[in-house]
Amino acid sequence: MKNYRIGVDIGGTFTDIVLLDDDGNVISRKISSSVENYARAIVEGLESVFAEHGVAPREVAEIMHGTTVASNAILELAGARVGLVTSKGFRDVLELRNLRMPRLYDLTWEKPPPLVERYLRTVVDERVSAAGEVVRPLARDDAARAVRRLLDEGVEAIAVCLVNSYANPVHERVVAEVVRELAPDLPCCTSFDVLPEIKEYERTSTTVVNTYVLPIVERYLNTLRTGLDARDLRAPLLIMQSNGGLTPAAEAATKPVNIVESGPAAGVVGARAVARQSGLENVISFDMGGTTAKASLVERGEYTRTREYSVGGGIMTGSRLLTGGGYLLNVPAIDLAEVGAGGGSIVHIDTGGSMQVGPRSAGARPGPVCYGLGGTAPTVTDAGVALGHLNPSFLCAGELPINADASRRALEDTVARPLGLTLEHAAWGARQVAIANMIRAIRAVSSERGRDPRDYALFAFGGNGALFATGMAEELGMRTIVVPPAAGLFSAFGLLYAEIEHHYSRTVRRVLRDADPASIDAIYRDLEAQADAQLAADGFDTGHRACTRTAMLHYQGQIYELEVPVSTGRIDRAGLNALTESFGREHAHTYGHRAGAEEPVELVTAQVLGRGLGDRPRVPERLRLADRNAESGSRRAYFGRMHGWIDTPVVARAALGGGGEGPCIVEEYDSTCLVPPGVRATVDASGNLVLTRPDP
Amino acid sequence: MSGHVDPIDFELFKNALFATADEMAVTVCRTTYSGVLRDNMDFSTSITDAAGNVIAQGLTLPMHLGSVRTALAAVLAHYDHDMRESDVFVLNDPFEGGMHLPDIFMFKPVFAGGERVAFACCTAHQADIGGRVPGSNAADSTEIYQEGLRIPPMRLFDAGKRNETLWRLIERNVRIPVQVFGDIRAQLAACEIAEREIRAQVTRYGMEPARSMMREMLDYTERMTRTALRALPDGEYDFEDWIDDDGVDFGAPIRLFVTVRKSGDRIAFDWDGSAPQVRGAINATLSVTAATSFTAIRSILPADVPNNDGTFRAVEVTAPCGTIANVVQPGACAARGLTAFRMLDCAFGALAKMAPDQVCAASDGGNVGISVGGYRADRSPFIYVDFTCGTWGGRPFADGLEGNANLLANMAAQSAEVSELENPVEILASELVTDHCGAGRFRGGAPFYRDYRVREEEATVQIRSDRQTHRPYGLHGGRPGAPGAVVLNPDDGAKTLTSKVTMTCHRGDVVRWVLPGGGGWGDPLERDPKRVLRDVRNELVSPAAAERDYGVVVDTGRWTVDDAATDGLRARRRAARTTDALPFVTWNDPD
Repeated sequence: MKNYRIGVDIGGTFTDIVLLDDDGNVISRKISSSVENYARAIVEGLESVFAEHGVAPREVAEIMHGTTVASNAILELAGARVGLVTSKGFRDVLELRNLRMPRLYDLTWEKPPPLVERYLRTVVDERVSAAGEVVRPLARDDAARAVRRLLDEGVEAIAVCLVNSYANPVHERVVAEVVRELAPDLPCCTSFDVLPEIKEYERTSTTVVNTYVLPIVERYLNTLRTGLDARDLRAPLLIMQSNGGLTPAAEAATKPVNIVESGPAAGVVGARAVARQSGLENVISFDMGGTTAKASLVERGEYTRTREYSVGGGIMTGSRLLTGGGYLLNVPAIDLAEVGAGGGSIVHIDTGGSMQVGPRSAGARPGPVCYGLGGTAPTVTDAGVALGHLNPSFLCAGELPINADASRRALEDTVARPLGLTLEHAAWGARQVAIANMIRAIRAVSSERGRDPRDYALFAFGGNGALFATGMAEELGMRTIVVPPAAGLFSAFGLLYAEIEHHYSRTVRRVLRDADPASIDAIYRDLEAQADAQLAADGFDTGHRACTRTAMLHYQGQIYELEVPVSTGRIDRAGLNALTESFGREHAHTYGHRAGAEEPVELVTAQVLGRGLGDRPRVPERLRLADRNAESGSRRAYFGRMHGWIDTPVVARAALGGGGEGPCIVEEYDSTCLVPPGVRATVDASGNLVLTRPDP
Repeated sequence: MSGHVDPIDFELFKNALFATADEMAVTVCRTTYSGVLRDNMDFSTSITDAAGNVIAQGLTLPMHLGSVRTALAAVLAHYDHDMRESDVFVLNDPFEGGMHLPDIFMFKPVFAGGERVAFACCTAHQADIGGRVPGSNAADSTEIYQEGLRIPPMRLFDAGKRNETLWRLIERNVRIPVQVFGDIRAQLAACEIAEREIRAQVTRYGMEPARSMMREMLDYTERMTRTALRALPDGEYDFEDWIDDDGVDFGAPIRLFVTVRKSGDRIAFDWDGSAPQVRGAINATLSVTAATSFTAIRSILPADVPNNDGTFRAVEVTAPCGTIANVVQPGACAARGLTAFRMLDCAFGALAKMAPDQVCAASDGGNVGISVGGYRADRSPFIYVDFTCGTWGGRPFADGLEGNANLLANMAAQSAEVSELENPVEILASELVTDHCGAGRFRGGAPFYRDYRVREEEATVQIRSDRQTHRPYGLHGGRPGAPGAVVLNPDDGAKTLTSKVTMTCHRGDVVRWVLPGGGGWGDPLERDPKRVLRDVRNELVSPAAAERDYGVVVDTGRWTVDDAATDGLRARRRAARTTDALPFVTWNDPD
């Protein structure tokens, strides 16, 4: 009997399924994402793959799942009808937000509508001080009145967030009890359970998002579980979280706020793991698809994480300076920067006479001109076709026919002629401008944090990642590029590498040099106890549970924190001093300067990460993929003014096993890799295409 | 496009410089110590060419738009031919390039191959710069000498060597040197980032092409600006508005008056007719007036016009010397922000005549500033400062926003919980107010109020607000928003105070401010009754006001509009009107 692990990643248009057995054999399948019922599509997709490859349901050890069900509920404003109970005087925290808007000089700006409308926000008369003392006790009757009012409005779930509850949740607990009494089956989330941290807007927003998606995620996961059970597929179902760790489906259903960025995280998880196998500890992942490009930084083999991000704020363009566009979440997530640039981005000329790429996208429909589905505006993909980078007749091993003449005509008419450029210069220019846009995502995770991209390898995947990787690397001065096998399906692959993780945190807000080490120690031990209990509940025995500590620190008065590791063992005065010093070093590393020793360093948040450990590597080092590459031969491709048009060999990845040199094009079922002149290409032991740019 | 500039190279070069300006801003934002920078985002970053024209400004404070050039010109007047690599220049004097004393302008000349190619610039509002009041921001100072340390254009670094004289002078004159130097370090770091990136770009493209592309960045913006201006109707449009008073001469309103002249691809803002400069510290330098005028016109230009000095070649801003719009020595100007916000409303009023389908009715008039300061029992000082605004006027196409920053300063709210933890104040409420938004087809934004309770034995409380006597105007038949208010102990005697006030409070005292409501746009009787229903249900409009202002009758039991009653009521309201014409601007309620 074989032993399969399965990764299922839902994307915008396709759902990718990957099966992996213990010997490293890979089966993959792309199915259409049927939006009405994702769960059914997955179950039916699995059934058909099983039938085709003779897999028995009992042979499946576990199913790892990256899902957009939570983020879609938010983006489409299709979550539950939620009621919010909050403190008297603070009914509008959710709506007033942080006041800031993501755009300047824009009189047409509209705020995202609050997930709970004002008439569904009720207040209770109570007050807890910043020190956690009850200043004004909450009368149970008052809580009952507030809850009843919401029940009368027919809410499907209730969120509770009271002022200063991070310091003492006693009143939130009272409201939750009242909800349980009056409506025992109604989902109810208190902010202390979701995010026991200071800042009323951030905590309210996070709690409301959790409540808003909870019934939807719960229903979805139940349907999926039932569907799997009905096919005798009893393997555990694990859900990818935004932070890069897996969590059991039951846990995801109670804290769905952790799985909102489930999909994009999986690719970074895979990038980190695959790069590690290849001996690369420092990489920047670059995931480019049809409409967006995303970047994330992996340093010393670890992800960089953020604790604050927005969903539904539109695509981040430029830097991440201006916030306020979406729904704020304060939960740990892999730090991803995203720009609205992809294969479908439209190439045009602005009123100043400059060439622009995006932000408008032709999307999947009508798509690029070359698809012949009615698109008339030239896109980045059309530029790729005109330059000979992409196959001029078809993509996806023949499944998608291409009209190269249409691409060329559209570029000629709308861009080249008006600008007085040759067609190839215009198409190459569109490529370069797209690269310049996408570089902003990479800079946001690297140079904006004091990291020099040249110290990192570029790990490229997604439908278009490999096509643009060398161009990106050249602009950034990066030498090494890694393109994993099945780059176009890589997010589904990433799921197979993930481990079970749980994150816990608490607001501390104490200056290190004045803090009592024992009380800091107690906070970390308490968080570790929580992590340990959850891992035990997940079925890990003591030898397979591990906790790591980190601290979010800043100079007192700063608003942003930096994350610094905290050593295990009892925390004493020397430990706090060491922490102060590592923060100073990190500040200097990130921002190029640090303050003098006299400046107080404040511990803002204590964090603990609990990991469930497996007995062996999650994925065999050597994968065996079915080679569905259809083409080989050669075609003319354009490589910029210096090289011009070159008759370029089109090869299979395997052909580069012994090493080779560009120019060449590696054409595969799910992506195309461009190797410019002078770039060395090899395939490593794990099947990765490794490109090395020459020394400058 | 100029003939010798490659359009692709140009787009790449432009993108790189704007990304750098943003990256500078991120560094300042992430490392700053002061609430003014971190929450109010009261700073800006930019890159200029070798002559001092801004070619790329970061996405920062609009109020600084156009001010960098003035400041850099003051530096160049002294040091143009006396600059070396690793020099850093600073200034803050409003009468020699600055805007008000807390804003320290910093410039680092960038050299490549021994030639000056650019300047990296970072302007930041320091949390304190000395003077008679903590925070150096008082509205009731009456001369510049009371407002703090004045720094004329000077070297902070001389070929990389720190100017210890200036450094120590600053250290002795500010109340919180740790914070101030922390923020100066952040400014320096931002300039270094820019220096590195600009050099890389010049190396990549070569000196001459880089210079050509910098010129083209200005030309390109100018072309886009002129193209957009040409599409607007020519003519002369004026507007008048009033500031309640300056907080020194109480009850004496201050006139703002602007004439906008639009002809072809040029536009001019002429502030002649505005009041003489006042004794209180709300006088604006010409650079503030210019930045405000730029923000107004910039807000109705297409979004993709880059932010640089190219725009200003098509925009002229003038104001007679010695007026509130162009202060001369020794006028005080620390709280010039108040006037800037009000000038924006005034400029929008004029632009609304030119572009009626683009411009909104009056906002809340800018932020309310509150500071609570004093000494704790152990004699340690505390100072809590918060600037908040958040209400837009109704727009020709949508309601005014509520709980949203002003266009002139994209500031964030401070967390009440953090404020309570760090300061001896308690925030008891921060909530929207019913029936304060100006009625209109598109109503003004609903304002919010905030209650603070003092938790120390004694504290000096200072409030700077406006629009108590001169309400946010409505446009095209829209009604004005409710006036702002400041109240001491609202639930215990409720003493109403003036818009600008400095007072001593004691433990347990509660201070409330209420923002003014946004003005409405268009005839309230034309408002979709379903929108009125929604406002009533959300308790932003009372059922009585729905009938009185909108002629809409709401069944509050079933949450429906009583269509028949509404039609009847609206018909009677229309019949009672003496004229069909809607007034362009409305300052007060009917009767």
